Amino acid sequence: MTRLKRPLGLALAGAAILACGVHGLRTMQMERRLLRAAPDTIPTNSVLFGFAAGRGAGTFRSSCASCHGLSGKGDTAQGVPDLTDSDWLYGTGTVGDIEKVVYYGIRSHNPRGWHLAVMPVFAQPVPSPTEKIPPLTPHGLQAVTEYLLSRGGQPTDRALAMEGAAIYASSGGCYDCHTADAKGDSAIGAPNLTDSIWLYGDGSRQAIYDSIAYGRQGVCPAWTGRLSAEQMLEVSLYVYSLSHPAAGRQQS
Amino acid sequence: MSKAQNDLVALDARPIPTPERARRSLLITAAGALIGLIVAGYALFTAKGTSTLTVPAEDVALVNQQPIARADYFAQLKATYQVDYSQATPEQRRKVLDDMIREELFVQRGKELDVAETDPDVRTAMVNSVEQMSASDVATRQPDEPSLLVYYTEHQDRYSTEGIITALDLVFPDSGHAEHAAAALGSGAPVAAVIANFQGRNSGTLNGEEFYFAARLHLGDALFDLARKLPNGGVSKPVEQPDGVHLLYVLANKPPKLRSFDEARTAVLNDFRNDEIKRSTAQYQTFLTRRAGIQIAGDLQQ
Repeated sequence: MTRLKRPLGLALAGAAILACGVHGLRTMQMERRLLRAAPDTIPTNSVLFGFAAGRGAGTFRSSCASCHGLSGKGDTAQGVPDLTDSDWLYGTGTVGDIEKVVYYGIRSHNPRGWHLAVMPVFAQPVPSPTEKIPPLTPHGLQAVTEYLLSRGGQPTDRALAMEGAAIYASSGGCYDCHTADAKGDSAIGAPNLTDSIWLYGDGSRQAIYDSIAYGRQGVCPAWTGRLSAEQMLEVSLYVYSLSHPAAGRQQS
Repeated sequence: MSKAQNDLVALDARPIPTPERARRSLLITAAGALIGLIVAGYALFTAKGTSTLTVPAEDVALVNQQPIARADYFAQLKATYQVDYSQATPEQRRKVLDDMIREELFVQRGKELDVAETDPDVRTAMVNSVEQMSASDVATRQPDEPSLLVYYTEHQDRYSTEGIITALDLVFPDSGHAEHAAAALGSGAPVAAVIANFQGRNSGTLNGEEFYFAARLHLGDALFDLARKLPNGGVSKPVEQPDGVHLLYVLANKPPKLRSFDEARTAVLNDFRNDEIKRSTAQYQTFLTRRAGIQIAGDLQQ
């Protein structure tokens, strides 16, 4: 028995080292496969997707949850978007689009980030530092608010809403970002104003008025240089999984 | 037994190295050395910042060891052809890669030529870029709620609603008429009657309900400062101006009101970040200045 102890111990240690080595090599191989795959095709590969999204959850908890919450549902009181629905403010919600936000952020001061549009502050003398837009009068603000309520199918003052529609399409310059039909433009992060999803507040009269009067400009940091390429892709896939619960289940 | 004898016995007890054992030791040592060499070689050629023989998985190319990130390549492909990598043709993939390599080559050549010395656009872009990098670090940090609350308390003047005023700016030919008109308005006489009775007119500078900033712009500082202090239904004292004697009649006055922290939170967060960015940029400039050797001509040293 004593004679067997030593070789048995050595064999066990060897097996453990081998297992660690195999696991390390497998992980490395998976990371490489992951990085070399086109991001938008990964959700169709259950093995890669499961591997990456699982690891991305950890990165999400440490880097994103402080704003987006652990569940990713965001917070409309602070203008933090819900990542679990299918409404995307920037891009169309593909893994590539999400990855771009993770890499370069939104108004993050990274030159490659999304920073084209900022909601002007219409209740101040110079609403936008970059665009020549005149301020609105209190009446004009109320009119545009009524117009947007009407677009969302809420009861409004019709005459005032019609005035608001005229301001929306002319001096207010709202159409420029939110488009003429108020359905927004995800290429610049201008939200759809006709649906029931609100980034700030609950879509009430006061919340809409406040957005127009005081402006909005949410920020998402750029993670490039802070997280590795694997981590950024993994967290992008995890975010994708929040709104696509079936992702990764269909094998390519 | 003496100590010397004891030592001799101990020496005899040691296992005698056989040729078989010696060979095994040599083999284990050789295997260890080989594994060490493999690990060191792998690390040498794959570690970040070292010269590598293979392109790392997160990159699509290395141009003089400078990586072109795969994520940037995919984004560029999508921006150029509106297709994902999986849908792109080999020609499209190659074209985008060639363009990115070309750009990298020219950027590297630009560094060699020190184009910032001669091209003002490059200089401006570099200054902006360094400022943005410094700001980007600040933008990543999420301030905690107590810090934001302290900031809000210290800068409450920034977080008020804009005051709203509805007033009429009436002009009369002289002080006498204006004083009588003021008394009539104060006692509730209709505006139209007061204008008719005392040869007045509405200057038309105010247009219904206006924000304070707009009313100040329309009335001028002196008249606006009078108007904003008046309550609903208040009439100012007559004010002589080159075009006549003015009376301000305030129909409604809603002074600025401090927004609560919750209402103003997004603005507070933005201002907090912007102030942090300004401070960080100033510190960065101080650091750069301190470590730089700057010599200034004698005539400009005062």
